[in-house]
Amino acid sequence: MKISVSQYASALFDLVAGKSEKEAKAIIKNLVFTLDKNHDLGKADAISASFAELWNKEHGEVDAKLSSAREFSAATREMVVDYLKNKTGAKKIILETEVNPEIIGGFVLRYGSKVLDGSLKNSLNSLKNKISN
Amino acid sequence: MSTTKDFIVEQLKEEISGFKAEVSEKSVGKVLKVSDGIALVSGLAEAMMSEILIFKTEKGEINGVALNLEESQVGAIVLGDFTVIKEGDEVVATKRILEVPVGENMVGRVVNPLGEPLDGKGKIETTKFYPVEKIAPGVITRASVKEPVQTGIKAIDAMIPIGRGQRELIIGDRQLGKTAIAVDTIINQKGQNMKCVYVAIGQKESKVANIVTKLTEAGAMDYTTVVLAGASTPASLIYIAPYAGCAMAEYFLDKGEDVLIIYDDLSKHAVSYREISLLLRRPPGREAYPGDVFYLHSRLLERACKLNKDFGGGSITALPIIETQAGDLSAYIPTNVISITDGQIFLEPDLFYKGNRPAVNAGLSVSRVGSSAQIKAMKKVAGKMRLEAAQYRELAAFAQFGSDLDSETKKKLERGQRLYEIFKQDQYQPLSVAKQVLTYFALINGLMDDVPVERVREFEAGLYKYADLNDTVLKLIAEKKELDEEIEAGLKKLIGDYKVTVDYLIK
Repeated sequence: MKISVSQYASALFDLVAGKSEKEAKAIIKNLVFTLDKNHDLGKADAISASFAELWNKEHGEVDAKLSSAREFSAATREMVVDYLKNKTGAKKIILETEVNPEIIGGFVLRYGSKVLDGSLKNSLNSLKNKISN
Repeated sequence: MSTTKDFIVEQLKEEISGFKAEVSEKSVGKVLKVSDGIALVSGLAEAMMSEILIFKTEKGEINGVALNLEESQVGAIVLGDFTVIKEGDEVVATKRILEVPVGENMVGRVVNPLGEPLDGKGKIETTKFYPVEKIAPGVITRASVKEPVQTGIKAIDAMIPIGRGQRELIIGDRQLGKTAIAVDTIINQKGQNMKCVYVAIGQKESKVANIVTKLTEAGAMDYTTVVLAGASTPASLIYIAPYAGCAMAEYFLDKGEDVLIIYDDLSKHAVSYREISLLLRRPPGREAYPGDVFYLHSRLLERACKLNKDFGGGSITALPIIETQAGDLSAYIPTNVISITDGQIFLEPDLFYKGNRPAVNAGLSVSRVGSSAQIKAMKKVAGKMRLEAAQYRELAAFAQFGSDLDSETKKKLERGQRLYEIFKQDQYQPLSVAKQVLTYFALINGLMDDVPVERVREFEAGLYKYADLNDTVLKLIAEKKELDEEIEAGLKKLIGDYKVTVDYLIK
């Protein structure tokens, strides 16, 4: 029987739960060995993504990425984290920031499969669409 | 001139000051794979069935529709040029089900399945949108079929009558005049309170251009919309074309109007759906069609209906077309659609090549609900005529073996030959009911027995011309819609008077 990516991920999650780093290392080594035996090493990337998703879900963590044209202050970042905590009900927000001059102004916030696009570039684009129609 | 400039600047300022960029949360996914009009998208956990997805590519935005909702990915068809979509491109869910513009302004236009104009006559101003997929009206809302659709084709109106709200299949091999029947029917709807939608599914664009020209010449584009998904259109657009056409028809249905919709043809539609299904990796079944190919057509044709008074009393009459291969009616798609529809018009190559055009096979063609929709006058003549036709078919096969026939049989054969002459009709020449009644009346009452078989059509054409000049009886038929003694006497007199003017009668 073929083992799916999500099955590998959930098995890994169950095995490493509450284990020390050393124990976890041995488990991962075993997993890689099993993957090799099943000719499933190609799925490794998908499994790690799936595992991260599962981990976040179980531990109430949310990965988020904040793009802005200029560096945001720590206070603003704090506001974004609070907003996300309220919005998603997560306990912990892992916020990654990025400076991207291409968006001109404002910000783009990505978390999970959601996007909150408050960039000037986006507004200008919708204005362009509105006028050209 | 400066006022115009100022006006424009003023307007622009107003628009911009009133413009508010709304920041709203959107679900996004990433393209995992693109192949032949199909895209696999990761994420989009909240995507709905047949939701519009927007692919953000480097060359602008392209629409798609979610068709497969799976655990961690969404299978979507791309409505547009899929070659510019790249792996990793962002896909945004719109939370809108696929819909097309509908309205009065669609009439007289040639549009693609998304309702965008293809005829170069500029933008179509519409405010209303209807969903492409819609559940058909339920039992409570329906009424039985009781008003006729006049196709203007003698053989059909008499023997295989179609009612408003009926679904009548036109089936036959290629090049036997399936489309011709549909186009003649559209042309004949002039002044009959009928809107028409012609959906060309996988047809050659040159053929559609011809049809549009013919319809325009006949003045039929005044009440017709043409939805075109040509042979070069991607399968995804061909797949939605009939549903989009039906949505445009439903707008008029909801207004209580009668609509005639032609799906030309559903074989190609099934083929497109098979392509999409196989690309989406749905399991293939018989002839490699997916398991839900029956539902594909049944949910479409079920949307044809006659609504009762409480729901506006509108109707959608559907004339789906199926192309068979070498007359094989027992192939998968033909049997499916035959079982869905309320009857079929079967076109036969033998008849066609013998010169009986339209090549309607009177024996295999049926209409299950239409006869209750015929007008009384037609019902009266058609009943007798159907009997004559059936007897003739039986005798003609029998008479091939011997030449010694009694006079009764000979008479039946003679009349049958004249009847089959009458069934012949040229393309783009639809006839009014009154004239059809006139011809059939002449035939079943033996008033044409003394016209030589080879001159029946000449006689018929002359009779119509004569009747146009003395049209009191025809008007009476159109008004009263039945044959009373007065009209019968009038018809007899008209035919008798005309016969005096011709010199080729058998003495």
